[in-house]
Amino acid sequence: MASVKLFCARASAQCVLRNAVRPTYVAQERSCYKQVGKPEPDMRWKPIMDRASQTVFWTELFSGLGITLGHIFKEPATINYPFEKGPLSPRFRGEHALRRYPSGEERCIACKLCEAICPAQAITIEAEARADGSRRTTRYDIDMTKCIYCGFCQEACPVDAIVEGPNFEFSTETREELLYNKEKLLNNGDKWEAEIAANLQADYLYR
Amino acid sequence: MSKYIEKISRLFRIIKENGGVLGSVRTVFRMEELKTGTLVGEDELGNKYFHNPMYFVGRSRWVVYSDAAGHDYDGSQVPAEWHRWLSYISDETPDKADLPKYPWLAKHTENQSGTPQEYVPYSTTRPKIQAWKPKTEEVYRKHF
Repeated sequence: MASVKLFCARASAQCVLRNAVRPTYVAQERSCYKQVGKPEPDMRWKPIMDRASQTVFWTELFSGLGITLGHIFKEPATINYPFEKGPLSPRFRGEHALRRYPSGEERCIACKLCEAICPAQAITIEAEARADGSRRTTRYDIDMTKCIYCGFCQEACPVDAIVEGPNFEFSTETREELLYNKEKLLNNGDKWEAEIAANLQADYLYR
Repeated sequence: MSKYIEKISRLFRIIKENGGVLGSVRTVFRMEELKTGTLVGEDELGNKYFHNPMYFVGRSRWVVYSDAAGHDYDGSQVPAEWHRWLSYISDETPDKADLPKYPWLAKHTENQSGTPQEYVPYSTTRPKIQAWKPKTEEVYRKHF
């Protein structure tokens, strides 16, 4: 009980002291305001008319034309395809190709892992023993209209035979041209092998 | 001010490099753009490759298709070796990079869709079913 009393006495003493010094306070003068935002528009009829005519007539038109003229001299943000091409990754998954060993022997051993993993079921393989006894495909068809370019086939391939090359400029005029057979895929490989091999070499540490 | 003088002098230099006013008009008509750059190389099809890092990536490397192509130039006319450099996959031009060279590598062809050389799919296997040829067929042909 005594402690409460003591506290009360201290509080009242503080109150008395504050009231005693109040006449000596210095208040900050706040009579000079600065408008930092947009000034309120003058809403009398004459200024309204002036603003409207300025918007509708010449000043705004010419400032717009000035911006257009400025953009003519700016460097364009687009690229001039087919002379310039966008950057590609060595992992880019484009048109399929069947690769060969440096000797010229085709790599594919008809294990059918790509056919099994293909989520779009775009690959059809038939295999037979060749005259020299090695097992090779007789049919390796990819329906490029079904393919979703996921790259699972090249990941599944144990001998790096089927790869998705860097070519994406293989659009056709008819649908049937996109039903690739083995000869077409091997021909793609022969055409693009230089780049495919270099891209695989560039990326082998990350595979 | 010197900034603008430099830009104007560059314009005159580009026009001069493109073969004067007439040559520049021809270049703009064919390529829709006038650019200046250093010639990096030429492939076996006659396409010329240029480089200028002044332009941003995507525009800093470009190909001038061979005059043989005329206005029928196509993105697929870039052979594999140069495609790698032109697509910024590698900074090395094909003569500096050691790309594999095998005797069985095929010559580059452009996308032949819509031409007589276009790819037409065919079966690479023997037919599994042999059609039965009736002996009466010849008789049928003879009489009807």
